[in-house]
Amino acid sequence: MTHTISLTPPASWTPERVDAVKVDERTLEQFLKSVERRALRMAELATSSREEALDLVQEAMFGFVRNYAGKPATDWTPLFYRVLDSRLNDWHRRRTVRSRWLATWTRSADDDEADEIAQAPDHTDPGPLLRLAGNEAAAALDGALGRLPLRQRQAFLLRVWEGLDVAATAHAMACSEGSVKTHLSRALAALRRELEDHA
Amino acid sequence: MNENGLPGWTDQARRVLDESAQSLDAATLSRLNRARQAALEQRRPTLRPWFVPAGLASAGAVLLALAVVWRAPVPMPANPGAPAPIATAMQSNGVAAGDLDIVSGDEGLEFYQDLEFYAWLDAQNQDGDG
Repeated sequence: MTHTISLTPPASWTPERVDAVKVDERTLEQFLKSVERRALRMAELATSSREEALDLVQEAMFGFVRNYAGKPATDWTPLFYRVLDSRLNDWHRRRTVRSRWLATWTRSADDDEADEIAQAPDHTDPGPLLRLAGNEAAAALDGALGRLPLRQRQAFLLRVWEGLDVAATAHAMACSEGSVKTHLSRALAALRRELEDHA
Repeated sequence: MNENGLPGWTDQARRVLDESAQSLDAATLSRLNRARQAALEQRRPTLRPWFVPAGLASAGAVLLALAVVWRAPVPMPANPGAPAPIATAMQSNGVAAGDLDIVSGDEGLEFYQDLEFYAWLDAQNQDGDG
């Protein structure tokens, strides 16, 4: 490991440039702070491991800062999740190769095949989660999300939790808007079914 | 449906997920903070301490000087009464014995940098004595 000590900026840096970097860094830090907890929970739901999730989030932060920090701040959210999504896909791929690759592959193939957009039913009742209380609802949702295929879970979390629109979610997941709609509608249907069973 | 065109129960799912993210333990938050700082460190202007490259350069120069002095070809003396081989080699290579003293001596480099000053001081003292 190389140890460096921060001293003064290089002589070629003007005070204005140093100030601009400090402002950029503050903005960047605020952004990372605003997404890191949700990113960790997303990674945790994907890996079922807090340690693995922390490593993946750290890798995503490094990749994002290295490759996309210079982009406009308005683009940061989908770009950050694109990096995280890529790390999650890599992790999932490695794990699939290591163990039970056949079953996972079968499920992924079903998940990825082109299909018409299945609209989730719009029931008028408050939904399955309201029938569960506090920790029970959290555990049920965690379990149901954990059992979703990766792409469906990411579509749900990015659209529902992070609040990205369909285009931004497609950008983050590096897929078409139609695929996002398909993944999301399947995720909503599966979650509803699972949570109904649980309630 | 909510304002995002999603089923109403997803609002509660979002609240449940928000609560889970807000209730992370201190150790996890500390790890996240360290990860964030490490990622941001990539953008900070950093300089290595000046003494690291300066020290390496100095050590390299000393080693080079020693290598030149000690690994120079040593001519065989023409007769048994000739001077010692190392002294001969140093003389033939134009290396004064004083240079070796500088390299191996206990005095700091500052002493040799201020040598002219000491010579002048010595001359002043001699003038004063005379």
